Amino acid sequence: MKKRNRFVYYGKKILTFVVSVFILSAVVFYVSRLAPGDPLVSYYGDRVEKMTPGEREWAKERLGLNDSVTVQYVRWLDHAFRGDFGISWKYKTDVVDVIGGRIGNTLLLGGLGFVFIFVFSLLLGVWCAWHEEGPADRMICNVGTLTSCIPEFWLSLVLILVFSVTLHWLPSSGAYSVGKERDFADRVMHLILPVGIVVLNHLWYYAYMVRNKILEEVRADYVLLARAKGLTKRAVMFRHCLRNVMPSYLSLMAISVPHILGGTYIVETVFSYPGIGTLAYESARYKDYNLLMLLCILSGILVILCNLTAQIINERIDPRIREQEVSERLEVTEP
Amino acid sequence: MRGAFELAGIRPLPEEAPEKAENRYRGRPIFSAVLLTLIVLGCAGCRLIMTKDPTYMDLSHYNTAPNGEFLFGTDAMGRDIFSMIWYGGRLSLFIGTASAAISTVIAVVFGAASGLAPAWLDALLMRVTEILLSVPGLLLIVLLQAILGEADVFRISLVIGVTGWMSIAKVVRTEVRQLRGHEYILAAKCMGGGFFYILRRHLAPNFVSSVMFMVVMNVRSAIVAESTLSFMGIGLPLEVITWGSMLSLAEKALLTGAWWTILIPGLFLAAVLMCITNLGNYLRKNINRKESNL
Repeated sequence: MKKRNRFVYYGKKILTFVVSVFILSAVVFYVSRLAPGDPLVSYYGDRVEKMTPGEREWAKERLGLNDSVTVQYVRWLDHAFRGDFGISWKYKTDVVDVIGGRIGNTLLLGGLGFVFIFVFSLLLGVWCAWHEEGPADRMICNVGTLTSCIPEFWLSLVLILVFSVTLHWLPSSGAYSVGKERDFADRVMHLILPVGIVVLNHLWYYAYMVRNKILEEVRADYVLLARAKGLTKRAVMFRHCLRNVMPSYLSLMAISVPHILGGTYIVETVFSYPGIGTLAYESARYKDYNLLMLLCILSGILVILCNLTAQIINERIDPRIREQEVSERLEVTEP
Repeated sequence: MRGAFELAGIRPLPEEAPEKAENRYRGRPIFSAVLLTLIVLGCAGCRLIMTKDPTYMDLSHYNTAPNGEFLFGTDAMGRDIFSMIWYGGRLSLFIGTASAAISTVIAVVFGAASGLAPAWLDALLMRVTEILLSVPGLLLIVLLQAILGEADVFRISLVIGVTGWMSIAKVVRTEVRQLRGHEYILAAKCMGGGFFYILRRHLAPNFVSSVMFMVVMNVRSAIVAESTLSFMGIGLPLEVITWGSMLSLAEKALLTGAWWTILIPGLFLAAVLMCITNLGNYLRKNINRKESNL
């Protein structure tokens, strides 16, 4: 690729990214303003009911709720460009601070889950493909389908029932016990169940994909040649087949980030884990617009970035598929 | 047939071995199909199976463990779980299929429109779908639901349906883009066939097989979405019985140790989802028919 072409290529990608984020913010802004429910309640709490109409009018004016939605959006955009995303109406502090205090927990949970899924789905997929149609492979396939189609919240409930309520081995909620914020062992104990559930729920979806990709690969003609040439099964599998599967695996894992993130949101809510998932849920319930805006945009940015990464990985490795959408090629079907 | 059209010098085709009777059932999801049919029939005919009134709150028997009278026990409000399962399953399954139907209709129309549109419009429409896909699904549902107001069965099906069409639409669009160049489409257009006519007569029969799997999976994700929402307390209220809203009492049940209120509705939910997944996977094109070279 020539230098100029590469410049144009990345320039286009960045432009797509910026435009997507811009449109996303507009859509979320308008949709959230259309929602009924009184944002004053989330700011003033129960005091709203005791307010006189005059006071309410004054409060609305102060929060800028009387202008048209477009004016509000432009104002929001203007502030956002200067790094000011407004204050959370429920927590009465800067949204960035509210999210900043929680995002570490979510990144820890999601990150650990992602790493485990990344490693284990590859191992499991290869192992199953190696023992294709054997009894172990069949059993894993069935168990895997079962774990991946059980709703995440129910799996959480059952595991809490078993490990916390009945056996008392693991804590059932929160990220740490009161007063033990710096205790490493305590943090780990609180992470086992949530991370386990995130991994269990997503692992098979990706492992199955790896398994099927390898099974397709194993049927290619070059494998026959390599075997005829005298290479061992192991060498063909790891030196040739796995290497050919890696590009699609990497781009699949790039797309998987938002899916795993969505999964942590639900797990966080069940475990009342102080992350941005619980925050998103609260902000949607209490009409905390500024907070919800930033959360939606953050998630959106992450998704768009991940999709772009996947596209770039694919296109750099295999220029033939430039025209196709990554998700179509990998048959990604559901969040 | 072969005798009539035989070409000179053609290689004789190998005779296909007749399929053995025992092989016909291998790899087919018989068990899933039977189980799913049983559950669906049970839910449809719930009036015949129910032993109690599912909405009646028998406050003298709340949180009773399963016994002869209450087959699956009762929940914290004294309702009989056995009757609620069948009664609520009807709604859960209805919401699943209704929202999948809504998604499919939107997806097919949108995808076909995008596929037949000129390149610039197609690119624009696909960007829109991608942006919609990038908002976390659950947040989108919560937002829409807030706009529509108090949740009921139809609204929640609508909301889940309206938020779940994007991935099907992308597949439909890809298929249609490949089909649009064919002569019979052009011929239909020349003879004045409208968009919906061409879609129904010429496009849909061609892409139905590749979309079928996704539609079945869509039923599954719609059921999951409904139960998750109801569980979190932002879907259907407690009085409307579905498997999801039955589970919304679960967090209290954890404290009282009433395992049956958590396990039993969940088991039914999981069984249905599992059956749907197996059926869906069967509909997928079989790829690994060849012998392995390894």
